[in-house]
Amino acid sequence: MRRLLLAASLALGAALTSSMAAAPTLLGKSAPDFVLKGLDGRNLRMSEFRGQVVLVNFWARWAGDSREEIPALDRINTTYQRAGLVILGVSVDEDLARAREFAGAMKVSYPLLFDTGADIGKEYMLQKMPMTILIDRSGVVRYSNVGFKRGDERAYLDHIRELLRE
Amino acid sequence: MSPKIRVVSIIVRGLLLACAWAALGAPAFTAASTAAAPAAAPAAPASAATTPASGTAAPAQAPPAAAPAAADAPPTEFKTLDQEVQGLKKDVIDLNKDLFVLEEELLFPANTQVALYVSMDVGTFFALDSVTVKIDNKEVKNYLYTAREADALLKGGVQQIYLGNLKVGKHELVAFFTGKGPTDRDYKRGATINFDKGVGAKYLELKITDRVAKHQPEFAIKDWE
Repeated sequence: MRRLLLAASLALGAALTSSMAAAPTLLGKSAPDFVLKGLDGRNLRMSEFRGQVVLVNFWARWAGDSREEIPALDRINTTYQRAGLVILGVSVDEDLARAREFAGAMKVSYPLLFDTGADIGKEYMLQKMPMTILIDRSGVVRYSNVGFKRGDERAYLDHIRELLRE
Repeated sequence: MSPKIRVVSIIVRGLLLACAWAALGAPAFTAASTAAAPAAAPAAPASAATTPASGTAAPAQAPPAAAPAAADAPPTEFKTLDQEVQGLKKDVIDLNKDLFVLEEELLFPANTQVALYVSMDVGTFFALDSVTVKIDNKEVKNYLYTAREADALLKGGVQQIYLGNLKVGKHELVAFFTGKGPTDRDYKRGATINFDKGVGAKYLELKITDRVAKHQPEFAIKDWE
Protein backbone atom coordinates (compact mmCIF):
# COMPACT_ATOMS: atom_id res chain seq x y z
CA MET A 1 0.00 0.00 0.00
CA ARG A 2 2.83 2.33 0.97
CA ARG A 3 4.56 1.56 -2.30
CA LEU A 4 1.41 2.35 -4.20
CA LEU A 5 1.06 5.68 -2.40
CA LEU A 6 4.71 6.45 -3.07
CA ALA A 7 4.33 5.62 -6.75
CA ALA A 8 1.19 7.76 -6.99
CA SER A 9 2.86 10.73 -5.31
CA LEU A 10 5.90 10.37 -7.58
CA ALA A 11 3.66 10.30 -10.65
CA LEU A 12 1.79 13.37 -9.40
CA GLY A 13 5.09 15.16 -8.76
CA ALA A 14 6.36 14.27 -12.23
CA ALA A 15 3.12 15.52 -13.77
CA LEU A 16 3.35 18.78 -11.84
CA THR A 17 6.99 19.25 -12.85
CA SER A 18 6.18 18.62 -16.50
CA SER A 19 3.25 21.06 -16.37
CA MET A 20 5.55 23.68 -14.82
CA ALA A 21 8.16 23.02 -17.48
CA ALA A 22 5.51 23.43 -20.16
CA ALA A 23 4.66 26.92 -18.90
CA PRO A 24 5.21 29.39 -21.71
CA THR A 25 8.50 31.26 -21.55
CA LEU A 26 10.30 33.72 -23.76
CA LEU A 27 13.56 31.73 -23.76
CA GLY A 28 15.24 31.96 -27.14
CA LYS A 29 12.83 34.65 -28.33
CA SER A 30 13.32 38.37 -28.77
CA ALA A 31 12.56 40.28 -25.60
CA PRO A 32 9.48 42.51 -26.07
CA ASP A 33 10.42 46.16 -26.03
CA PHE A 34 9.01 48.52 -23.42
CA VAL A 35 9.34 52.10 -22.32
CA LEU A 36 8.61 53.00 -18.71
CA LYS A 37 8.98 55.89 -16.33
CA GLY A 38 11.66 55.56 -13.70
CA LEU A 39 11.82 56.67 -10.10
CA ASP A 40 13.75 59.79 -11.15
CA GLY A 41 11.07 60.72 -13.69
CA ARG A 42 13.10 59.72 -16.75
CA ASN A 43 11.67 57.37 -19.35
CA LEU A 44 13.75 54.35 -20.27
CA ARG A 45 13.34 52.21 -23.35
CA MET A 46 14.67 48.68 -23.13
CA SER A 47 15.74 48.51 -26.79
CA GLU A 48 18.09 51.46 -26.25
CA PHE A 49 20.36 49.09 -24.32
CA ARG A 50 20.79 46.77 -27.32
CA GLY A 51 24.45 45.72 -27.46
CA GLN A 52 24.63 45.34 -23.68
CA VAL A 53 23.60 42.45 -21.48
CA VAL A 54 20.32 43.40 -19.81
CA LEU A 55 18.88 41.87 -16.66
CA VAL A 56 15.20 42.71 -16.17
CA ASN A 57 13.89 42.07 -12.69
CA PHE A 58 10.13 42.21 -12.25
CA TRP A 59 9.39 42.96 -8.63
CA ALA A 60 6.49 43.85 -6.39
CA ARG A 61 6.37 45.49 -3.00
CA TRP A 62 4.16 42.73 -1.62
CA ALA A 63 6.49 39.92 -2.76
CA GLY A 64 8.74 39.07 0.17
CA ASP A 65 11.42 37.55 -2.09
CA SER A 66 11.80 40.89 -3.86
CA ARG A 67 13.11 42.42 -0.64
CA GLU A 68 15.92 39.86 -0.64
CA GLU A 69 16.57 39.89 -4.35
CA ILE A 70 16.84 43.65 -4.93
CA PRO A 71 19.88 44.15 -2.63
CA ALA A 72 21.54 41.09 -4.22
CA LEU A 73 20.98 42.58 -7.68
CA ASP A 74 22.35 45.90 -6.48
CA ARG A 75 25.60 44.18 -5.46
CA ILE A 76 25.80 42.53 -8.90
CA ASN A 77 25.16 45.88 -10.56
CA THR A 78 27.96 47.68 -8.73
CA THR A 79 30.41 44.99 -9.83
CA TYR A 80 29.33 44.32 -13.41
CA GLN A 81 27.95 47.66 -14.54
CA ARG A 82 31.33 48.69 -15.96
CA ALA A 83 31.59 45.40 -17.84
CA GLY A 84 28.46 46.19 -19.86
CA LEU A 85 25.65 44.89 -17.68
CA VAL A 86 22.42 46.87 -17.37
CA ILE A 87 19.91 46.02 -14.66
CA LEU A 88 16.36 47.30 -14.91
CA GLY A 89 13.96 46.76 -12.04
CA VAL A 90 10.33 46.83 -13.16
CA SER A 91 7.61 47.19 -10.57
CA VAL A 92 4.27 45.63 -11.41
CA ASP A 93 2.63 47.07 -8.31
CA GLU A 94 -0.79 48.57 -8.94
CA ASP A 95 -0.35 51.07 -6.11
CA LEU A 96 2.13 53.42 -7.76
CA ALA A 97 2.57 55.72 -4.76
CA ARG A 98 3.47 52.88 -2.39
CA ALA A 99 5.69 51.25 -5.00
CA ARG A 100 7.58 54.53 -5.37
CA GLU A 101 7.91 54.82 -1.62
CA PHE A 102 9.26 51.27 -1.43
CA ALA A 103 11.66 51.85 -4.34
CA GLY A 104 12.93 55.05 -2.74
CA ALA A 105 13.63 53.21 0.50
CA MET A 106 15.60 50.45 -1.30
CA LYS A 107 18.21 52.98 -2.52
CA VAL A 108 19.59 50.88 -5.35
CA SER A 109 22.14 51.94 -7.95
CA TYR A 110 20.16 50.70 -10.96
CA PRO A 111 16.98 52.21 -12.45
CA LEU A 112 13.68 51.16 -10.95
CA LEU A 113 10.77 51.51 -13.37
CA PHE A 114 7.02 51.36 -12.88
CA ASP A 115 4.53 49.48 -15.03
CA THR A 116 1.04 50.53 -14.15
CA GLY A 117 -0.68 49.26 -17.28
CA ALA A 118 0.12 45.54 -16.68
CA ASP A 119 0.76 45.12 -20.41
CA ILE A 120 4.42 44.26 -19.94
CA GLY A 121 3.51 41.55 -17.45
CA LYS A 122 1.44 39.86 -20.14
CA GLU A 123 4.10 40.26 -22.79
CA TYR A 124 6.75 38.77 -20.52
CA MET A 125 4.39 35.98 -19.38
CA LEU A 126 4.97 36.70 -15.71
CA GLN A 127 4.05 33.68 -13.61
CA LYS A 128 5.13 34.69 -10.12
CA MET A 129 6.83 37.59 -8.39
CA PRO A 130 9.70 38.24 -8.49
CA MET A 131 10.84 37.12 -11.93
CA THR A 132 14.22 37.75 -13.48
CA ILE A 133 15.11 37.63 -17.15
CA LEU A 134 18.53 37.87 -18.79
CA ILE A 135 18.72 39.29 -22.28
CA ASP A 136 21.83 38.94 -24.43
CA ARG A 137 23.51 41.64 -26.50
CA SER A 138 21.31 40.90 -29.52
CA GLY A 139 18.08 41.25 -27.53
CA VAL A 140 17.25 37.55 -27.10
CA VAL A 141 16.01 36.15 -23.78
CA ARG A 142 18.61 33.64 -22.62
CA TYR A 143 17.71 32.89 -19.03
CA SER A 144 14.77 33.34 -16.73
CA ASN A 145 14.20 32.63 -13.07
CA VAL A 146 10.86 32.60 -11.33
CA GLY A 147 10.88 33.52 -7.64
CA PHE A 148 14.04 34.01 -5.65
CA LYS A 149 15.80 32.02 -2.99
CA ARG A 150 19.16 32.57 -1.38
CA GLY A 151 21.87 31.32 -3.73
CA ASP A 152 20.03 32.20 -6.92
CA GLU A 153 22.34 35.18 -7.34
CA ARG A 154 25.19 32.73 -7.98
CA ALA A 155 23.26 31.31 -10.95
CA TYR A 156 22.65 34.88 -12.15
CA LEU A 157 26.37 35.59 -11.97
CA ASP A 158 27.25 32.45 -13.96
CA HIS A 159 24.85 33.43 -16.72
CA ILE A 160 25.86 37.10 -16.67
CA ARG A 161 29.56 36.24 -16.99
CA GLU A 162 28.78 33.88 -19.85
CA LEU A 163 26.74 36.50 -21.72
CA LEU A 164 29.27 39.26 -21.11
CA ARG A 165 31.97 37.07 -22.67
CA GLU A 166 29.97 36.63 -25.90
CA MET B 1 -0.57 49.41 -60.65
CA SER B 2 -3.46 47.90 -58.67
CA PRO B 3 -2.66 45.94 -55.48
CA LYS B 4 -3.92 42.68 -57.02
CA ILE B 5 -1.53 42.96 -59.96
CA ARG B 6 1.29 43.86 -57.57
CA VAL B 7 0.56 40.81 -55.42
CA VAL B 8 0.67 38.57 -58.50
CA SER B 9 3.89 40.19 -59.73
CA ILE B 10 5.53 39.77 -56.32
CA ILE B 11 4.48 36.12 -56.13
CA VAL B 12 5.85 35.51 -59.66
CA ARG B 13 9.10 37.23 -58.72
CA GLY B 14 9.30 35.18 -55.54
CA LEU B 15 8.83 31.98 -57.55
CA LEU B 16 11.52 33.08 -60.01
CA LEU B 17 13.85 33.73 -57.08
CA ALA B 18 13.10 30.29 -55.68
CA CYS B 19 13.88 28.76 -59.09
CA ALA B 20 17.12 30.73 -59.19
CA TRP B 21 18.05 29.38 -55.77
CA ALA B 22 17.30 25.86 -56.94
CA ALA B 23 19.37 26.41 -60.07
CA LEU B 24 22.21 27.73 -57.92
CA GLY B 25 21.99 24.62 -55.79
CA ALA B 26 23.09 22.48 -58.78
CA PRO B 27 26.40 24.29 -59.41
CA ALA B 28 27.10 24.16 -55.71
CA PHE B 29 26.72 20.40 -55.74
CA THR B 30 28.71 19.99 -58.92
CA ALA B 31 31.46 22.10 -57.40
CA ALA B 32 31.39 19.83 -54.40
CA SER B 33 31.48 16.72 -56.55
CA THR B 34 34.40 18.02 -58.64
CA ALA B 35 36.23 18.88 -55.45
CA ALA B 36 35.51 15.41 -54.14
CA ALA B 37 36.91 13.74 -57.27
CA PRO B 38 40.62 14.57 -56.67
CA ALA B 39 40.18 13.55 -53.08
CA ALA B 40 39.04 10.16 -54.27
CA ALA B 41 41.98 9.86 -56.63
CA PRO B 42 44.62 9.09 -54.00
CA ALA B 43 42.54 6.11 -52.90
CA ALA B 44 43.54 4.23 -56.06
CA PRO B 45 47.31 4.55 -55.50
CA ALA B 46 46.75 3.53 -51.91
CA SER B 47 45.16 0.30 -53.01
CA ALA B 48 47.86 -0.02 -55.65
CA ALA B 49 50.46 0.18 -52.90
CA THR B 50 49.97 -3.53 -52.35
CA THR B 51 51.30 -4.14 -55.89
CA PRO B 52 55.06 -4.24 -56.58
CA ALA B 53 57.07 -1.03 -56.10
CA SER B 54 57.51 -0.37 -59.84
CA GLY B 55 53.76 -0.31 -60.25
CA THR B 56 53.21 2.18 -57.45
CA ALA B 57 55.67 4.77 -58.78
CA ALA B 58 53.46 6.09 -61.57
CA PRO B 59 50.23 6.50 -59.58
CA ALA B 60 52.15 8.08 -56.69
CA GLN B 61 53.26 10.95 -58.95
CA ALA B 62 49.86 11.52 -60.48
CA PRO B 63 48.04 13.06 -57.48
CA PRO B 64 50.51 16.00 -56.97
CA ALA B 65 50.04 16.96 -60.64
CA ALA B 66 46.26 16.82 -60.35
CA ALA B 67 46.12 18.65 -57.03
CA PRO B 68 47.14 22.17 -58.22
CA ALA B 69 44.62 21.99 -61.05
CA ALA B 70 41.91 21.02 -58.59
CA ALA B 71 42.95 23.79 -56.19
CA ASP B 72 42.82 26.42 -58.95
CA ALA B 73 39.44 25.43 -60.36
CA PRO B 74 37.07 26.09 -57.40
CA PRO B 75 37.89 29.80 -56.81
CA THR B 76 36.65 30.88 -60.25
CA GLU B 77 33.54 28.80 -59.83
CA PHE B 78 32.97 30.16 -56.36
CA LYS B 79 33.57 33.68 -57.61
CA THR B 80 30.75 33.44 -60.13
CA LEU B 81 28.63 31.68 -57.55
CA ASP B 82 29.33 34.50 -55.09
CA GLN B 83 28.32 37.08 -57.70
CA GLU B 84 25.09 35.21 -58.34
CA VAL B 85 24.39 35.01 -54.60
CA GLN B 86 25.03 38.75 -54.25
CA GLY B 87 22.61 39.41 -57.14
CA LEU B 88 20.01 37.21 -55.50
CA LYS B 89 20.49 38.98 -52.17
CA LYS B 90 19.83 42.30 -53.89
CA ASP B 91 16.68 40.83 -55.47
CA VAL B 92 15.53 39.65 -52.04
CA ILE B 93 16.07 43.14 -50.59
CA ASP B 94 14.11 44.68 -53.49
CA LEU B 95 11.34 42.14 -53.01
CA ASN B 96 11.26 42.86 -49.29
CA LYS B 97 10.92 46.57 -49.98
CA ASP B 98 8.05 45.91 -52.40
CA LEU B 99 6.36 43.69 -49.81
CA PHE B 100 6.69 46.43 -47.18
CA VAL B 101 5.13 49.01 -49.50
CA LEU B 102 2.41 46.56 -50.48
CA GLU B 103 1.69 45.69 -46.85
CA GLU B 104 1.30 49.36 -46.04
CA GLU B 105 -0.96 49.85 -49.06
CA LEU B 106 -3.13 46.89 -48.08
CA LEU B 107 -3.30 47.57 -44.33
CA PHE B 108 -3.59 51.32 -44.67
CA PRO B 109 -5.10 52.04 -48.09
CA ALA B 110 -4.80 55.64 -49.23
CA ASN B 111 -8.55 56.22 -49.04
CA THR B 112 -8.61 55.49 -45.29
CA GLN B 113 -5.02 56.19 -44.25
CA VAL B 114 -4.25 58.75 -41.61
CA ALA B 115 -0.68 59.37 -40.47
CA LEU B 116 0.43 61.54 -37.55
CA TYR B 117 3.89 63.00 -37.18
CA VAL B 118 5.58 64.80 -34.28
CA SER B 119 8.14 67.54 -34.75
CA MET B 120 9.82 69.85 -32.29
CA ASP B 121 11.51 73.16 -32.86
CA VAL B 122 14.07 74.68 -30.45
CA GLY B 123 12.58 73.24 -27.24
CA THR B 124 14.00 75.87 -24.89
CA PHE B 125 10.74 76.18 -23.00
CA PHE B 126 9.61 72.59 -23.13
CA ALA B 127 11.17 69.18 -22.44
CA LEU B 128 8.91 66.55 -24.00
CA ASP B 129 7.93 63.58 -21.85
CA SER B 130 4.90 62.03 -23.53
CA VAL B 131 2.23 62.51 -26.17
CA THR B 132 -1.27 61.09 -26.00
CA VAL B 133 -3.43 61.14 -29.10
CA LYS B 134 -7.19 60.77 -29.18
CA ILE B 135 -9.19 60.54 -32.38
CA ASP B 136 -12.95 60.96 -32.02
CA ASN B 137 -12.55 60.66 -28.24
CA LYS B 138 -10.80 57.30 -28.48
CA GLU B 139 -7.18 57.01 -27.35
CA VAL B 140 -5.14 55.69 -30.26
CA LYS B 141 -1.63 56.35 -29.03
CA ASN B 142 0.26 57.06 -25.84
CA TYR B 143 3.97 57.49 -26.37
CA LEU B 144 6.66 58.03 -23.72
CA TYR B 145 9.82 59.71 -24.96
CA THR B 146 13.26 58.78 -23.72
CA ALA B 147 15.94 61.48 -23.50
CA ARG B 148 17.51 60.12 -26.67
CA GLU B 149 14.26 60.31 -28.62
CA ALA B 150 13.54 63.84 -27.41
CA ASP B 151 17.08 64.83 -28.47
CA ALA B 152 16.48 63.36 -31.91
CA LEU B 153 13.35 65.50 -32.27
CA LEU B 154 15.27 68.60 -31.20
CA LYS B 155 17.88 67.86 -33.82
CA GLY B 156 15.23 68.05 -36.52
CA GLY B 157 13.91 64.51 -36.52
CA VAL B 158 10.27 63.91 -37.41
CA GLN B 159 8.60 60.91 -35.82
CA GLN B 160 5.68 59.00 -37.24
CA ILE B 161 3.74 58.47 -34.05
CA TYR B 162 0.64 56.85 -35.49
CA LEU B 163 -0.56 55.24 -38.69
CA GLY B 164 -4.14 54.09 -38.91
CA ASN B 165 -7.37 54.04 -40.82
CA LEU B 166 -10.28 56.45 -40.71
CA LYS B 167 -13.54 56.64 -42.56
CA VAL B 168 -14.18 59.47 -44.96
CA GLY B 169 -15.86 62.36 -43.15
CA LYS B 170 -15.38 64.75 -40.26
CA HIS B 171 -13.16 63.80 -37.33
CA GLU B 172 -11.69 65.37 -34.24
CA LEU B 173 -8.12 64.85 -33.08
CA VAL B 174 -6.90 65.85 -29.64
CA ALA B 175 -3.25 65.62 -28.66
CA PHE B 176 -1.98 66.00 -25.10
CA PHE B 177 1.63 66.92 -24.53
CA THR B 178 3.25 66.42 -21.13
CA GLY B 179 6.73 67.38 -20.03
CA LYS B 180 8.68 70.03 -18.20
CA GLY B 181 7.78 73.60 -19.03
CA PRO B 182 9.57 76.86 -18.30
CA THR B 183 11.28 76.96 -14.87
CA ASP B 184 11.26 73.15 -14.89
CA ARG B 185 7.62 72.85 -13.87
CA ASP B 186 5.35 69.96 -14.86
CA TYR B 187 3.50 71.01 -17.95
CA LYS B 188 0.50 69.55 -19.73
CA ARG B 189 -1.15 71.13 -22.74
CA GLY B 190 -3.56 69.99 -25.39
CA ALA B 191 -4.16 70.83 -29.03
CA THR B 192 -7.27 70.04 -31.04
CA ILE B 193 -8.03 69.90 -34.72
CA ASN B 194 -11.23 69.15 -36.59
CA PHE B 195 -10.48 67.79 -39.99
CA ASP B 196 -12.19 66.35 -43.00
CA LYS B 197 -10.96 62.97 -44.14
CA GLY B 198 -11.26 62.85 -47.91
CA VAL B 199 -10.59 59.99 -50.31
CA GLY B 200 -6.83 60.53 -50.19
CA ALA B 201 -4.40 59.84 -47.35
CA LYS B 202 -4.42 62.37 -44.52
CA TYR B 203 -1.19 63.63 -42.97
CA LEU B 204 -1.21 65.62 -39.74
CA GLU B 205 1.76 67.08 -37.92
CA LEU B 206 1.86 67.73 -34.18
CA LYS B 207 4.19 70.71 -33.87
CA ILE B 208 5.92 71.87 -30.72
CA THR B 209 7.53 75.27 -31.06
CA ASP B 210 8.81 77.99 -28.75
CA ARG B 211 6.92 81.26 -28.46
CA VAL B 212 9.83 83.51 -27.56
CA ALA B 213 7.75 86.63 -26.88
CA LYS B 214 5.76 84.87 -24.12
CA HIS B 215 8.54 82.55 -22.97
CA GLN B 216 6.15 79.65 -23.42
CA PRO B 217 5.99 76.60 -25.65
CA GLU B 218 3.32 76.43 -28.33
CA PHE B 219 1.50 73.34 -29.51
CA ALA B 220 -0.20 73.17 -32.86
CA ILE B 221 -1.54 70.60 -35.28
CA LYS B 222 -0.88 71.17 -38.93
CA ASP B 223 -3.00 69.58 -41.62
CA TRP B 224 -0.85 68.68 -44.63
CA GLU B 225 -3.21 68.85 -47.57
